Amino acid sequence: MTDVRCETARELIPDLVGGRLGAAEASRVAAHLETCADCRAEAELVQLLYVARPQVPESVTGRVLAAVRADAPHGRRPWWGLAAAAVAVLALGIGVASRSGRDTETVVPGFVAQGTSTTGAWVSDNGMVAGAPALDGLSDEALQALLEELESNGTGGSA
Amino acid sequence: MKTDASGEAITDAELVRRGREGDEIALGELVDRHQAAAFRVALSLVGDGDLAQDVVQDAFLRAFRGLRGFRGDATFRTWLLTITANTARGALRRQGRRREARLEAAGPVPAEDMDPHESVAVGEAAERARALLQELPEKQRLAVQLRIDEGLSFREIGDIIGSSEGAARVNYFHGIHRLREWME
Ligand SMILES: [Zn+2]
Repeated sequence: MTDVRCETARELIPDLVGGRLGAAEASRVAAHLETCADCRAEAELVQLLYVARPQVPESVTGRVLAAVRADAPHGRRPWWGLAAAAVAVLALGIGVASRSGRDTETVVPGFVAQGTSTTGAWVSDNGMVAGAPALDGLSDEALQALLEELESNGTGGSA
Repeated sequence: MKTDASGEAITDAELVRRGREGDEIALGELVDRHQAAAFRVALSLVGDGDLAQDVVQDAFLRAFRGLRGFRGDATFRTWLLTITANTARGALRRQGRRREARLEAAGPVPAEDMDPHESVAVGEAAERARALLQELPEKQRLAVQLRIDEGLSFREIGDIIGSSEGAARVNYFHGIHRLREWME
């Protein structure tokens, strides 16, 4: 069992405190803490922060799930499953031609343009999804109205 | 934790795949797994429990609406928390920074925003540490809380705070260093 250096210990203290380390690694880090007052002091602070982390109110689950359900009623294709063409309409409606793709990449890692050769529509959709800075000029009301319009037009309007 | 027929835990990636098909149970499981982290990020940024709940709801809706474009080389969690942070910043701006101004004036998150049972249980020093955390600059604060509360890697944290992995690590250790000084 190799000795753990301060640098390694300090990186792993949050995982030790949060119970996220395997038994072997946990005991190596704990052994270091026994011999190193500085790392021990840091672990004590991390422990304080961890135990006092805010807990999510129980009401959040219900709220979010209700909102998700309202967003995608049973028996209908969820509106986020709309064709790219419909999203392009949304993008044109919003009129955010000035957006740059570069912002998008940094704002939402993992989100890429799909299925279109020109990324304008998806970039805008992306911006909408991510709340990217370039869309901040739009009022929420304007954005919401567009979203609602798209939803009612794009899903057969059975509601 | 949701499991498949063989008893294996279903990955987020699989839940995302099902969610894309409109599977509400899969979406619900994603909410279940990640709402606490999203709430803590939102609360840290907006400083108000009610507003943080609004932000979380909004962030999940945005994330689910965008599932088609989610590539999956980032984890769903990282992606959701990035959206949450952006949504929270937008909510703050819409409020004309009233909340932020109040936070700057008053310092720590008001106790009313914490779960009361939790507040009683954790003790004074822990509450003080947590209050001081709120006084760190945003990137340091998020780096510290994402590393400690959620166990994110510095790479994931970098994605969320818009920095490199190395800068995320520096932000974390700077934040910890300051907190240790303040707590003495
Ligand atoms: Zn040490």
